[in-house]
Amino acid sequence: MGVRMVYLLQQLVAEAADHDPDQLALVCRDSRLTYGELEQRSNALAHALIERGVERGDRVGVFANKSVETGVAMYGVMAAGGAYVPLDPTSPPSRLAYVIQDCGIHHVIAENRQRPTVAGLERLGVKLDTVIGLTDADIAYPAMGWTEIGSRGEAPRRRVMEQDLCYVLYTSGSTGVPKGIMHTHRSALSWANVTASEYSIGDDDVLSNYAPIHFDLSTLDFFGGAKGRATVVMIPEEHMKLSASLASVLEQSQITLFYTVPLALVQLSTPGVLDRRDFSSLKRILFGGEPMPLKHLHSLMRKLPETRFFNVYGPTEVNGVTHYAVLGPPPVDGDALPIGLPYENVEALVVDEEDRPVPQGKVGELAIRSATLMRGYWGRPDLNERAFYFRERFDGLPEVFHRTGDLVHQDRDDVLHFHGRKDRQIKSRGYRVELDEVEAVLITHTDVVGAAVYGVPTQDGTTEIHAAVTLTRASAATPSSLRTYLAATLPGYAVPTTLTVLEDFPRTTTGKIDRRSIAEATTALSRIGEKS
Amino acid sequence: MSERDLRQALREFISHELLMDETAALDDEQELLLDGTIDSLGATRLVGYIERTWGIEIPPQHVTVDNFSTIATMAGYVERRMIDGSGS
Repeated sequence: MGVRMVYLLQQLVAEAADHDPDQLALVCRDSRLTYGELEQRSNALAHALIERGVERGDRVGVFANKSVETGVAMYGVMAAGGAYVPLDPTSPPSRLAYVIQDCGIHHVIAENRQRPTVAGLERLGVKLDTVIGLTDADIAYPAMGWTEIGSRGEAPRRRVMEQDLCYVLYTSGSTGVPKGIMHTHRSALSWANVTASEYSIGDDDVLSNYAPIHFDLSTLDFFGGAKGRATVVMIPEEHMKLSASLASVLEQSQITLFYTVPLALVQLSTPGVLDRRDFSSLKRILFGGEPMPLKHLHSLMRKLPETRFFNVYGPTEVNGVTHYAVLGPPPVDGDALPIGLPYENVEALVVDEEDRPVPQGKVGELAIRSATLMRGYWGRPDLNERAFYFRERFDGLPEVFHRTGDLVHQDRDDVLHFHGRKDRQIKSRGYRVELDEVEAVLITHTDVVGAAVYGVPTQDGTTEIHAAVTLTRASAATPSSLRTYLAATLPGYAVPTTLTVLEDFPRTTTGKIDRRSIAEATTALSRIGEKS
Repeated sequence: MSERDLRQALREFISHELLMDETAALDDEQELLLDGTIDSLGATRLVGYIERTWGIEIPPQHVTVDNFSTIATMAGYVERRMIDGSGS
């Protein structure tokens, strides 16, 4: 067999199948697919999608929890020339409807479990051309089921270019609606290459897939795994949430590389969870999304002395950018871990407001140039203008940089250290939340006059969201009814944990709402509440 | 406390505290861990709530899908622990 040209993401699967079709590709619960089967099934799905009208560049929704068929759906959409758009099954219907309409999605692949929601979306005015069932059991959908897809294993002949979109991931947007981050085959494939090389992923590796597919962490698992011809074990949702179940999946599946958010590691470090288990296979743990609490990292590293730990960093817009190898258990009361050194194909600059590099050691905004950079935000020229800037190259041509909004400084060894955000984006349990988005949604409630939403750090190292509002005089709204209102629009992780009704907001001397003093006053109140 | 009361208390905690929706209709057999009703922080809070409310200590190895996937299995677990102190 000749050399296969790999410039599209799904060709990683074809290449792995060329090499060894019987190598295990995806495992979820009791189901498993080899690379040969994954290629065949995703190609067969691609033919079916094309017959249903999917064209090059079309965005196709994937509305499903984890299963091997979810993996087939992702690759099948790309093989049809489209880009997959994960639809988060835990999102409220109005948010799903927004994503579908904003991204111009006409075709959705959905599991049976989501059928009532799909019907509800149609009542919200969402018009879909095709809804395809995810498995044989989902044949009840209109149009077609899995069996009908057949077994045509050859990839459809389509002219798809490396600059075409391969997926769009929606994330919190500060104006009150989510925004879609577009990645191309080129940016995603670069990311797969970086990952497989930096973490030496090979065919004897078993990667976990912890993050759901709408969360960008999942792209390292799937595509870094496929690049290394490794096996990817998708951790079922119900096992992710309970520490003992998670530990048992990691042990039984003999995971060699576990990529997750700090909160999961905090839970695993709870006394007793890892006892009497064998983690000799677990060679690497990668964590990212938000800062890792040192106390818990210290205890986990002592329990897993053979495992190497990496702090990884990178906004969804650029995939991974830097990493930092943690060589030994950190001092419990030490400084936060650095976000680390840029990967080999990344140029990282620390710049001021005019995009000029700041002197070493000074804090500025991190700007990134990398082949892993997104194409842009879907349908948002306003955001794209802020996200990118151009530097003239020696040959007079422009080079594109991404302004991350993250504040950093670079130390003498070129290691980058994180100093928070330029704007009001926070991370809660690894998820990005724009506090301005939560405020914007609160303000849409007819009784709400003013809203202040703020983050409060928790003991287990993440950030909780809290809100304070002022209401119209005649309002009968309660904290509970307002949270219900928010939960109808925002994903669960963005709904504030507490909501306080105030007579009036404290103001700063310049007349702005003083969120800091609201935060201090309300957290002090809740502490009193806990003690009494 | 009867198993019915146990289930009622669990339903109330989950709808009021975790879902923040007092009107949420929860089925005792509904898979709460699968559909996002309970996330990982929610699971931690739920375990803490059960420990405080019924005065039992839940060892990490008992925090499994078998014991915690539905309101019915949780109530069954709490009841077993209150009777004989054993887990699953």
